[in-house]
Amino acid sequence: MDAERRSFTTLPILGMDRTNFMPGVAAAGVLLLVLVGVVIVLYNEQAYRDAKTQQVEAQSRILASTVTAALAFDDRKAAQEAVNALAVDPQIRAAAVYDAHGDLFASYTGTGGPAVPKAVNDISPAAEREQLVVTTPVRQGSVAVGTIYVQTAIDPISRRFQRYVALTLLVTMAALIFVLLGFAQRRLTEVNERLRRQGEELSDVNENLRAQIEQRENVEATLRQVQKMEAMGQLTGGIAHDFNNLLQVIIGNLEVLRRRNLAPGDDAKRMVDAAIRGGQRAATLTQRLLAFARRQPLDPKPIDVNKLVAGMSELLHRTLGESITIETVLAGGIWRVAADANQLENALLNLAVNARDAMPDGGRLTIETANAHLDEAYADANEVKAGQYALIAVSDTGSGMPPDVVAKAFEPFFTTKDVGKGSGLGLSQVYGFIKQSGGHAKIYSELSQGTTIKLYLPRLTVAADAHDGTLDAAALPAGDRDRLVLVVEDDEDVRAHAVSILTELGYPVLEAVDGASALQLLEAHAEIRMLFTDVGLPGGLNGRQLADEARKRRPELFVLYTTGYARNAIVHQGRLDPGVELITKPFTFSSLATKVNAVFERRDGRGAQAH
Amino acid sequence: MRQKPRSAGGVLRWLLVVAAWSALAAALARAQAPAVEYAVKATDLYKFVPFVEWPPEALPPSDPLVICVVGRDRVSDLVDEAVNGQTSAGHPIRVVHGQSGSLRDAHCNILYVALRGAAAVDALDRVRGQPVLTVTDAAQEPRAAGVVNFVVIDNRVRFEIDQHAAAENHLVISSKLLSLAIRVTPRP
Repeated sequence: MDAERRSFTTLPILGMDRTNFMPGVAAAGVLLLVLVGVVIVLYNEQAYRDAKTQQVEAQSRILASTVTAALAFDDRKAAQEAVNALAVDPQIRAAAVYDAHGDLFASYTGTGGPAVPKAVNDISPAAEREQLVVTTPVRQGSVAVGTIYVQTAIDPISRRFQRYVALTLLVTMAALIFVLLGFAQRRLTEVNERLRRQGEELSDVNENLRAQIEQRENVEATLRQVQKMEAMGQLTGGIAHDFNNLLQVIIGNLEVLRRRNLAPGDDAKRMVDAAIRGGQRAATLTQRLLAFARRQPLDPKPIDVNKLVAGMSELLHRTLGESITIETVLAGGIWRVAADANQLENALLNLAVNARDAMPDGGRLTIETANAHLDEAYADANEVKAGQYALIAVSDTGSGMPPDVVAKAFEPFFTTKDVGKGSGLGLSQVYGFIKQSGGHAKIYSELSQGTTIKLYLPRLTVAADAHDGTLDAAALPAGDRDRLVLVVEDDEDVRAHAVSILTELGYPVLEAVDGASALQLLEAHAEIRMLFTDVGLPGGLNGRQLADEARKRRPELFVLYTTGYARNAIVHQGRLDPGVELITKPFTFSSLATKVNAVFERRDGRGAQAH
Repeated sequence: MRQKPRSAGGVLRWLLVVAAWSALAAALARAQAPAVEYAVKATDLYKFVPFVEWPPEALPPSDPLVICVVGRDRVSDLVDEAVNGQTSAGHPIRVVHGQSGSLRDAHCNILYVALRGAAAVDALDRVRGQPVLTVTDAAQEPRAAGVVNFVVIDNRVRFEIDQHAAAENHLVISSKLLSLAIRVTPRP
């Protein structure tokens, strides 16, 4: 493409150098031609005149020699005859012979010719251009015996110029050709100039088009990647959600079985424990899938990234081992961000583990923080909003990744590790989490140099409702007989599981399958203290709408949501609304116990807050 | 200031009057009046020279041209005066007056015969065959006429040319002269 363009713009265009030269040459040529023509005409004119003079002189000399005898013997008659002989030349207008005394001796006047002078002394030179006067002495030996006078007309100018017609035509034609050539040259030059300009424009347009195509290709590639990730997110999200519900049922029932019927040391209890562990691992896996699909419920809170990274150093040392040195470079005045602190720690741990795996012989892990600004150009090319971000960069001195691996590194189930050693979900989970948090993740890697993964989290500008969310509970809090819980869940197994846990904890429980029946129960039982509802409900009202409706009637009502993944109804742009309590499925006996108690306690401790 | 041009004009007018008179006199002189006739004939004698070709040995270049005159008439009296100081075709002209008897030794180039009748015939016979241009005046009979014979027609001097006689005398007459002759006797 470059070579083509170059050859096109430097295409030699004929005649360019003679742009201003040619018209001058044409004009000079025409002038020269005309000048030469005039010179030739003048020369011919003079030559004609000379020839005519010579001719007339010859005639007069002949006459002179003819009339010598007549003059010598005073024979006017003979002289007259000799003079009259000139009549054969029609151009001779007058002729005369004068004797030795200068007196007129004989004369001849042609038709229309002038009167001859009376004496030699009266002879005057030619009066007009169109006549020629020649006088010749008549000599007898060395003695002048008289004078001959001959006046001739020369060809009239019109006749003379007839001879120059051909020449004039030639000169005119040549001049015309010159002029035409000049015009043609000028025209050609103009056309060439226009062609050149058009060529330039064309190459500009071409260049423009090429740039546009390139840009479009880039955008399309990015879009394709985004769409691919989106599609995979949809797929994994859908599957994970259903899996989640199924796992809820499996784990829930296994727990009920373990708690109720089995004595410690029993083989059956061991098997149930193993099944529960498997189920929980499966649940973890689906959580990570949901994270990638950006459907994990997040609990974003204002975070000081530096504090978070510093707080992780002990954990990281333990995780990475002695062979890897950890260096943290923390920028001062780092911007605060809003993110789910647990998930962010998870993400950093994920990256650290990946780094460790890339440095089997040891190395250095560097975690840097910085304030960063992503400009429009970078933002457009990377599907992220331009603006201010807090950056956490995790670098290793490991083996690095080739570009094709970098391109796929964020895709789920893509792994370079041996089968069974990696799930292929670590980086995709990080990616999903960062995207869901409104941030941006980027991999820079060089083979045998190392890899840097940069996580950008949007700067927090609005002071968010900050509440310390230490959800840890040491012991399982017992239920309260006065706290009637209404469980709303369309999935019968999940509902039964939830009811059994709550009942076991000591809470009185009512249950409903959809929003409408739940509202009826609320109306009928004023003692209901908590609404524990699935977010996704059939029959017109979803969990959020049900809660809103319930709160209208019972502002003091506690609400706890549960969901496989958070839909828009409960999660605005993937974030939990401030003040909304949520427990994700599959929940365990202890996690539900802790959560329900926490909801009751917090509300009681701080006073009921209308949503 | 006005006096000068008037006096100049007067001089001019006087000159013009003089010129007119002299012109009139010349015209009168050239008129073929009887007195003038003989002078013209005398002058014509040497005027023939350019139109006549003598044999080279008879008239070497720059040798004097001899005009012999025999007899006496009104022309012969004027010859010396007419020829005096003249040259013709590079030849100084000499006039010799003599008798017919001395003609053979006189080396004449031109012989004017101012004689009549038998005397004239005799004189002509004496130079017959010699390179001599014989000239007679108004000879009546052919035998008494020379190569050139003056006649007067309309008061003008004209001449006849006898080519036969010219050939006898080894002379070649120019056609220019012949064209002026009123009569030419052809060669034999």
